[in-house]
Amino acid sequence: MAIPKLGYLLKLPKFDHLEAKTIEEACSLLAKYKGKARVIAGGTDLLVSMKGREISPQYIINIKAIPNLDGINYSRKDGLVIGAMTTLAAIESSPIIGEGFPILSSAAHQTGSPHIRNIGTIGGNLCNAAPSADMPPSLIGLEAKAKIKGLTGERAVTVEQFFLGPGVSALKAGEILTEVQVPNPPPHTRGVYLKLPARTAIDIAVVGVAVVVTLDTKGVNIADAKIVLGAVASTPIRARQAEDIIKGKALDDELIQKAAQAAADEAKPISDVRGSASYRKEMVKVLTNRALKQATTQEG
Amino acid sequence: MKQLIQLTVNGEPHEVRVEPWKTLLEVIRDDIGLTGPKEACSTGECSACTVLLNGKPVNSCLVLAVEAQGKEISTIEGLSQSNQLHPLQDAFIRHGAIQCGFCTPGMLLSAKALLDENPQPTEEEIREAISGNLCRCTGYNKIVEAILEVAQSQ
Repeated sequence: MAIPKLGYLLKLPKFDHLEAKTIEEACSLLAKYKGKARVIAGGTDLLVSMKGREISPQYIINIKAIPNLDGINYSRKDGLVIGAMTTLAAIESSPIIGEGFPILSSAAHQTGSPHIRNIGTIGGNLCNAAPSADMPPSLIGLEAKAKIKGLTGERAVTVEQFFLGPGVSALKAGEILTEVQVPNPPPHTRGVYLKLPARTAIDIAVVGVAVVVTLDTKGVNIADAKIVLGAVASTPIRARQAEDIIKGKALDDELIQKAAQAAADEAKPISDVRGSASYRKEMVKVLTNRALKQATTQEG
Repeated sequence: MKQLIQLTVNGEPHEVRVEPWKTLLEVIRDDIGLTGPKEACSTGECSACTVLLNGKPVNSCLVLAVEAQGKEISTIEGLSQSNQLHPLQDAFIRHGAIQCGFCTPGMLLSAKALLDENPQPTEEEIREAISGNLCRCTGYNKIVEAILEVAQSQ
């Protein structure tokens, strides 16, 4: 996120705007202008970075005219498929997602402002690879995959493996993200995404925690758990030790506190203008504790 | 290299030649001449530049004009009809929901988009709908009261 320079209005640097009509065309253009081109989805992150002169691509490749990159589809067999160009507002308001994947509605709702969500897309949220992005922790918790197309074919990587570092995704030159695939969670699964600052429009996450827990058939012990932390490492990360602490056990306050402490220990935050490293660690503990309690007591 | 685009602004068709790096906000203000949408933060954080794009509020400072080709745009200039203030404008004035006025066009458009979609919103839904619009004068309560009054009188 650029910090606006005071004293004059921010203008975009000059660039050529190219319209890709097909995925193949987008990939060819990206390969041809390797390093000089960027894909524009919603543009709500890209144009801010360009106004701040963090990046000045010579070519902007618009993929909004490519058919079938936008949409939400669900089947019992394959689960949920969200096209990369689906807006966060569409995800937030989708009854299918609200019913079967409420943690994703909640994460979308906590992203940006209503205005940003009307144009910002899930694909952009992933491809910008910001450690603080709001969608990835919940997607990782649900074991979602990113489908990637390139000139030589297509592949899928887990959303967890999609992030390599701040601003760096697994996309190679000439590849674009086409959809996000979210498998049906097992029965008795509940997810919660919490972020600080809570319910404050626009602000990016200082800490984000997604918790996805699956109870056993008796509804007592934790059969499976994912605890995913955002904004506290160079990518979103799983707190695997914290997960191991609660797996196979019935949650009580003491266990939740132990897991929350483990998650805080696993976080590797930096200090910046939004919060110090020690504050972020402390908040990982608070949010993990809160999210585990919510996930195991909420109705549904 | 300029590109020719067609926009419908407040119901009127416009053809403009624009450079690809021009934002929708710049084109509306500088080429079409409507100065209702304001530029403040330029980074999507204040929503003073709010316009409705096909009925939905967006930050026009973060939309490329060339990508708005063929779209319907509403600005504050299109809100009043035949010299009659829109009920929201009237309520904003009566409730003192305007002070310096810089956020007002954006606030009104966010409120209009909300009431178009959800004519009977709760106070919480109103606060959510304007959560991207920053106001440094009113403390928001008067704005929320004005919108609530219009919703309740519909």
